[in-house]
Amino acid sequence: MSALAGLRVLDLTDRRAALCGKLFADMGADVILVEPPDGADSRRIGPFLDDRPHRDRSLFFWNYNLNKRSLTLDLSHERGIELLRSLAGSADVVIESFAPGYMERVGLGWADLHRLNPSLVLCSISPFGQSGPWRDYKADDLVLTALGGMIYVNGFPEEAPVRPLGLQAYHSGAYYGAIATMCALLARERDGVGQWVDVSILEATASAVEHVAPSYMSDGVVQQRRGSLHWTRYFRVGRCRDGYVMHCTLGDWTSLVEWVAGDGAAQELTGPQWEEVTYRKERAERLFDILDQWVRPYFRDELLARAQALRIPYASVQAPEELLDDEQLLSRRFFFEVEHPELGRKLRYPGAPYMFSATAGKVYRRPPLLGEHTGEILRDELGLSPDELAALSVQGVI
Amino acid sequence: MQRRAPLEGVRVADFTWVVAGPVATRILADQGAEVIKIERKIEGADALGPRRTGLQGDINRSKRSVAINMATAQGVELARRLVAKSDIVIDNFSARVMKQWGMDYESLTRVKSDIICISMSGFGHSGPRANYVSYGPTLQALAGFTLMMASRRGEPAGYGYSYADMAGGYSGALAALFALWHRKKTGRGQFIDLSQFESLAAVIGPALLDSSVNERSQSPQATSMPEGPAAPHGVYRCRSLAEDDDRWLALSVRTHSEWRAFVNAIGSPAWAVEPKFASLFLRMRNRTELDAHVERWTRAHDAVKAMELLQRHGVAAGLVANGADLCARNPQLEARGFWMPVTLPDGSALRVTGVPFRLSDAPLPKARCTPDVGDDNDYVLGEVLGLTRGERDALAAAGAIWQ
Repeated sequence: MSALAGLRVLDLTDRRAALCGKLFADMGADVILVEPPDGADSRRIGPFLDDRPHRDRSLFFWNYNLNKRSLTLDLSHERGIELLRSLAGSADVVIESFAPGYMERVGLGWADLHRLNPSLVLCSISPFGQSGPWRDYKADDLVLTALGGMIYVNGFPEEAPVRPLGLQAYHSGAYYGAIATMCALLARERDGVGQWVDVSILEATASAVEHVAPSYMSDGVVQQRRGSLHWTRYFRVGRCRDGYVMHCTLGDWTSLVEWVAGDGAAQELTGPQWEEVTYRKERAERLFDILDQWVRPYFRDELLARAQALRIPYASVQAPEELLDDEQLLSRRFFFEVEHPELGRKLRYPGAPYMFSATAGKVYRRPPLLGEHTGEILRDELGLSPDELAALSVQGVI
Repeated sequence: MQRRAPLEGVRVADFTWVVAGPVATRILADQGAEVIKIERKIEGADALGPRRTGLQGDINRSKRSVAINMATAQGVELARRLVAKSDIVIDNFSARVMKQWGMDYESLTRVKSDIICISMSGFGHSGPRANYVSYGPTLQALAGFTLMMASRRGEPAGYGYSYADMAGGYSGALAALFALWHRKKTGRGQFIDLSQFESLAAVIGPALLDSSVNERSQSPQATSMPEGPAAPHGVYRCRSLAEDDDRWLALSVRTHSEWRAFVNAIGSPAWAVEPKFASLFLRMRNRTELDAHVERWTRAHDAVKAMELLQRHGVAAGLVANGADLCARNPQLEARGFWMPVTLPDGSALRVTGVPFRLSDAPLPKARCTPDVGDDNDYVLGEVLGLTRGERDALAAAGAIWQ
């Protein structure tokens, strides 16, 4: 049995919070993605399969909607709202990321849904939260990473701050949304009633930055960009003959210095004062300059193989595509093949970061085509007849 | 009805240290779980920095601490007794440590049959790198972040911090909640093998799919617009604020109406109404020129004022916040009471990272100052485990606990 078997989630989100529903779907919940008749916005975002833009070829959409079912419903249509209310009557969770106030205006606000189904949990994920002076500000992932303190400290001092790889403000919001929803569900099991969860992506972003707030709050220090030097001063990128490595001066110092000295590149590093971790931290720039000179003649893989043998925690600075052949990920079956019968192809997807011993039964369903499950959901869940479905289709509701 | 925190009554035996594990248990503690850190007492300066302030103070607030020496058989026995009274056991050691102590999941099910064990190791408990030592920056390098997060010159910079630890932390907390749900429904505990490396791979899905399906190599340029095309888009330098010339505005303009709003907001200069910028397609094609115009405007403006002006017109814009902007000058975070106050033992006040969500029917989370190692010995050893003062003194004399 999967961990969330039997849990029903209605996913009304756009690209900002699409990951949240997927976190539930990957654990076996029945997640119904409710899309407008012309498709979720993320279907228009690339990359696309073979670089051919089409709403059923978006890899972006596929990534976030694996394991979900798709129901098209026009929420600007009164009948669409009615159908959604009927579905919400038997759902455990509704996740939404509309602009604050929209749900109330269309009759799907917390008061309405709570009256309809007192055990329902409503999870609202918005850029700034449902209250406060910035409630109605506009933002995308870039703007949220900027405001949340996630990018000021990335990059080189005289150059522009660097944004993360991937939509990490949205992802932080989605994970915290799932965490908050699970908390509300656990409280519901105890207290019998659902709650409204108000997630601010700005706050989730600020919660996913390591040192910026603690440094300021405790010491009044405004942390700066330092190139690739990590704020703890134990890590920096170095360049080999054929690529980059991440230096690390934690780990076994003696082995590292013996190796560097053996190559005739240690300069002053053989001095006993360098054995002290804090001494190395204070002189990090000088230390890494010496190590940079040392690694320059090496081939990356040659250097890393030897570092590993000495248990020195250096790492390869890899490109994302190198993960596809990474022996650790392959050994743990992190990637898995998903059959796309409509294409006659099997595609390789990244998986979840955790393995559950008691709930291994993952049921993987390929990402849905637009409206693929509209008929079955309205028929099986709401008992609509074929004639009624046809009428809704003609009216443009589904 | 008396409102209670969602995780009230849940006890966590917390063996985690450094950052990723403590972030996971911070999330559980904020929701009312009783998180008990099982820790070593080391003489002299702590390599992780100060205990009650800074990063360690932020991520360990609202927890309890008991000083148990796991290098002794009696210490391990005490830890097992604590597990018998806990719901969740969590660690972020490499795969072998808990097993060496006899504290692996199999062994602990004999202490408590429905225990939930979560291990948040760097690489997971299986595979060729199960026992490798890893840190946030090395995992970020392996997972593609460092190379893709490059300067405009193409020089890899990566994160200035360990996002790996934060992503590992929120993944670990979520896994714990899934397992609690499963236990509530079935009565069964389980073992969760979380890999921090995989926590990173799981949040770069579109890039990985692009490489696996389209067989494309990723480049910093190709990954710079993960949310689809926009122009203008990026960070633009702004006017200095007093002596500080490191001021930037993040800006994203996608739709036609956003472009019109942007042009209006900046006063419809002649360049902005030229045909070569009339559509998103053309703005993408003429981006270099567009960016130069936009940056000329932002350089003449204060970042906060530019943000407020653009937002009044409905344009997605935000200043690139530094520590002071984030912690001391953000009216939105203030209005929502995001930062939480704690009182340090000397009576001074400190604000720590808050909870990024509100629950309509739960008490507002409150934070307690981070305990020093062993501060809660009396509570944990006395009240929870029921040891007398004499028994505790004997354990201290035997080196199994530090008092």
